[in-house]
Amino acid sequence: MTLDWWGLGLQAINVLILVWLLSRVFWRPIAGAITRRQDAAQAMLEEGKTAQAKADAALAEVAETRAGIAAEREAILADAKATADKVAKAALKDAQTKADAMIAAARTAIDRDRNTARKENATRAAELSVEIAARLLGRFNTPAVQATFLSQLVEAIAGMSASDRTALIASADDIEIITATNPEDEERAKIEQAVKDALDGTPSVRLVTDPDLIAGLELRSGHFVLHNSWRADLENILKEVESAA
Amino acid sequence: MNSPLDSTVLFQIGPVPITQAIVTTWAIMAILVIGAFVLTRRLDLRPTRRQAALELMVATLDTQITETTGAAPAPYRGFIGTLFVFILVANWSSLVPGVDPPTAQLETDAALAVLVFLSVIWFGIRAGGVGGWLKTFAAPNPVMIPLNILQSLTRVFSMFVRLFGNVMSGVFVIGIVASLAGLLVPIPLMALDLLTGLVQAYIFAVLAMVFITSAVEDGARTQPNIDLAPSPTKKDS
Repeated sequence: MTLDWWGLGLQAINVLILVWLLSRVFWRPIAGAITRRQDAAQAMLEEGKTAQAKADAALAEVAETRAGIAAEREAILADAKATADKVAKAALKDAQTKADAMIAAARTAIDRDRNTARKENATRAAELSVEIAARLLGRFNTPAVQATFLSQLVEAIAGMSASDRTALIASADDIEIITATNPEDEERAKIEQAVKDALDGTPSVRLVTDPDLIAGLELRSGHFVLHNSWRADLENILKEVESAA
Repeated sequence: MNSPLDSTVLFQIGPVPITQAIVTTWAIMAILVIGAFVLTRRLDLRPTRRQAALELMVATLDTQITETTGAAPAPYRGFIGTLFVFILVANWSSLVPGVDPPTAQLETDAALAVLVFLSVIWFGIRAGGVGGWLKTFAAPNPVMIPLNILQSLTRVFSMFVRLFGNVMSGVFVIGIVASLAGLLVPIPLMALDLLTGLVQAYIFAVLAMVFITSAVEDGARTQPNIDLAPSPTKKDS
């Protein structure tokens, strides 16, 4: 048995060349591919962690924003409630003021109506009283009463100032003596004579009957009236009563 | 039938005789290199089945290296992996009619053993320096220097003889049986020869790895700064 040293050396060189070639075209590329995949997977993991961190941060931000929105909502609701309360109070106060004003106006109107009604009632009562009194007094229109009124008329004429009496006499043509009833001739003459005497006798007077006088004698001219009757008295009383009401 | 110990010289290049084993080796080299080039042309992050199979092979080799030696596989992957693939393909080349496996010749196995011997020295010096590598022969004490030197030679010689004996015997037995019993009878023996070729390639690669690691570890013990443990973050490119 012999060993071929040339062959041994050639085979050793061949294997060395094969080791070098396969290292370059087989082992390194495949190992590099594995490493690249590991790096890519690691990068994806890192990217995933980064994305997770970003997502967590975004989630926290959303939660914070949501909390802010909730707080803002609460603030807006509280503000709206306060505004609504304020407006409601203002409206209530305004309504209360208006109601008070309306109540006051109503009370004023009621008082005014009441006063008006009271006055009307008083007026009507006074008028009714005057009417009742007139009817009652109409029953007492006796000659004695008539004589009394005549004497009072004469006294009134006598009590007039000289200037008034002179002015009355100047318009003697228009002087009328008003009586409540149509007197008898004797009585008529007595009345006319008494008045003439009171006026110093010069004027001529006409006797006119007016039942509204109830009882009494009145002297009238174009510009002068001398009241002297129960009617005049009742009207005076009525005016006083109305003035007092 | 020719003696399996004889080499058939096909032609001469000057003083260098080119035997059939050398030509077969060239053919195997060409097939392996071209095949590797074709297979690794389009490697992508999304692997195809072909790429996944190739990566599985490399990952298995790396795992084997790591489990056997405890060291990072990158520095040894090219040498150990190429040894395994070449010896496997060379052993299985006997299936091709008319082709004798190169590993059935003394020169090829001796060349592989010499390369393992030199690689042990190379990796040992690279790990611990020349002094550290030389000190490995004095472990555990200087008395062991002759025995360690003898061991470093004989263990490589045993590898060479083991591979040569197994492959050559397989080829020889198949040749004898085929000459006696025709074509079909050697088939079980050829199947057994496939298994033998795989096992021998594996044994040769693992033993080479163990010898290299032993030299690296012994050298590293003299250089305490060197860490042999595989680092999970270290890139194996």
